Amino acid sequence: MRNSMKVTAVALTLALTMASLAGCGTSTKTETSTPPSETTSTTTDEVKETETKNDTKSTGDYYDADTSAQDIVKDAAEKGKVGNWGLGNEYEVQALLTKYGQSNFFLSQAFDMDGFDDDSILLASAMTYNELGLVKNSYDGGYSYGDSVKYIDMNDEGVAMLEDNIFTTREFAKENPNTVKAFIYASMKGWEYACANPEEAAEIVFNAGSSVSSDHQIYMANEVKKLVETDTLGNKVTEYGKFDDKALQQTLDLAKQYIKLEDSAAAEKLLTLTLDDFYDASYWTEAMASDGNIGTPEKTDVSIQLKWLPQAQFMGYYVAAAKGYYEEVGLNVTITPGGGDIGETTAVNSGQVDFGVTWDANLIAANAGGMNLIAVSQVYQRSGLVLVYKVNK
Amino acid sequence: MKKKTHFKWDKQSISTVLYPVLFGILLLILWQTQLLHKMIGADTFALPLPGRILRIIADNKSTVMKNVNATVIVAIGGLICGSLLGYLLGIIATIFPKWGVGGLSIASAISAVPIIAIAPILNNLTKDFSNDASTRSMLAKTIVVTITCTVSMSINAYRGLNELKPFSLDLMKSFAASKVTTFIKLRIPNSVPYIFTALRVSVPASIISALVSEYFAEFIIGVGRQIRENIVLAQYATAWAYIVVACAIGIMMYGILLVAEGILLKGRK
Repeated sequence: MRNSMKVTAVALTLALTMASLAGCGTSTKTETSTPPSETTSTTTDEVKETETKNDTKSTGDYYDADTSAQDIVKDAAEKGKVGNWGLGNEYEVQALLTKYGQSNFFLSQAFDMDGFDDDSILLASAMTYNELGLVKNSYDGGYSYGDSVKYIDMNDEGVAMLEDNIFTTREFAKENPNTVKAFIYASMKGWEYACANPEEAAEIVFNAGSSVSSDHQIYMANEVKKLVETDTLGNKVTEYGKFDDKALQQTLDLAKQYIKLEDSAAAEKLLTLTLDDFYDASYWTEAMASDGNIGTPEKTDVSIQLKWLPQAQFMGYYVAAAKGYYEEVGLNVTITPGGGDIGETTAVNSGQVDFGVTWDANLIAANAGGMNLIAVSQVYQRSGLVLVYKVNK
Repeated sequence: MKKKTHFKWDKQSISTVLYPVLFGILLLILWQTQLLHKMIGADTFALPLPGRILRIIADNKSTVMKNVNATVIVAIGGLICGSLLGYLLGIIATIFPKWGVGGLSIASAISAVPIIAIAPILNNLTKDFSNDASTRSMLAKTIVVTITCTVSMSINAYRGLNELKPFSLDLMKSFAASKVTTFIKLRIPNSVPYIFTALRVSVPASIISALVSEYFAEFIIGVGRQIRENIVLAQYATAWAYIVVACAIGIMMYGILLVAEGILLKGRK
């Protein structure tokens, strides 16, 4: 008995050391073997590049201004240098890669644009109102690229998925219909004011505890205004927060195609979802028709969980709070900023907060996983995601 | 001194194994029958049933194994490199005691730097290392694990090389043994139990730091990354599946360590 134990024990230790040696071996092997391969690849490439560089200065490294989106996506994908943050933000990028016959692979992009700056990512994900501004502009925190970058817009490519909405649980909406309608009404009033006065809105957000500079907030407010007032086809939207069935259907179709769930029950449920399973337009319709005369709210102290840090992305809510629009409809609203890995769907589902702001794809994934959440207003009417790249001068 | 009793299945060791196992089974029964959910006020959404969790693992064996491999290679690679480096530091500190002790206390201060802080930094620092994102991410993660494993080994190795049995150094001197002989015949054998003390800390730490460093890696792979992705996407059952897998890796590696320790330290002391 003891002998056999000893034998197995020795075998296990051997296995452990073998495995570890193998692990160590591979790591040292890569350490020693990759630099030469890297140098060879760079020498062959760079010889050509320096040749051309001497003539016209900085040609060849990036893309020409008139290169088609297809060629850029293909080239960046073949080099494995397409970036996205992942965590449910990647589906539009994957849809675009598929559209141009590439694999779904992308690099995990950090929440800054350093990877784009140092060329480890050639085609980087950026929100028009945030990262794109940081890349282009030269204010505090910016990378000052100006016009030496261009971008591929998801709306133009037909792979747009809708983003920031207002959502709650179906149960909460059923039990507190007046609260939901009052919240939508006041929030939309806030969005309307913010879009009419983006600079003032940016200042309100900045004073409410902004994470970025006030210059960037003003840039952001102006860009967010475009997303709220323009649909995926580029048409002007006059009714703030309305549900665009066609765009939402496209969002759902792409979600079904690109959200990959390992839980077979959730994956099966995802395929059966319809538009009615993740939004209910009736609260928004009634709120907007009410002219502010909504019955007494069932719950007056409510909170909203933002998807990200306090910034002009959410200016409508900050303006509504600062201008007293929430008080006018009898609500006392607490705005809870997000950031990092905050799960806004989980926070709303568990009842920690009453409302939340998320992307429709996240809502769809959460409902497939067993939550029963509904969007009650679709604030952003077009996708704010772009893929930014550097152009040769 | 009392002998180690790892593989003596006497009454005492049976009870030390049996009670935790019975408690675990009881917990599983409470969990599956949802009595546990009532006790702690959770729902099956945040705390899915064990059956569902196991089914997800069984359904996705190849995906799970791919992620497990990535995590284990990083954890073991970093563990080995860190332990060797730590032991080397211990030796250096023994040879140069005046510098060494101070150096080791600085090294132990490094261990207080959280993994969350060094992982993104190393990710940026290793970017020029390779054109292949998978390779450079692997390197960045391995360095994080190496750093966490180095410290406990260096301190324990130093103690093992210096806390000698009374009079043993005098005995070596009376034999006119050279410093090198003393080192090989006395100090290094004396440090073996201390190596295992260090490994008992570093093995779990290596897995934890491998899981956390995956959060920040450029190349998306690994058990830790899957836990993060699934929690953000509100896929709690799948996240739990990967949590169970992470626990299994930890228990297995710790088990192998205990077995190895039982054999190598048998008959010592």
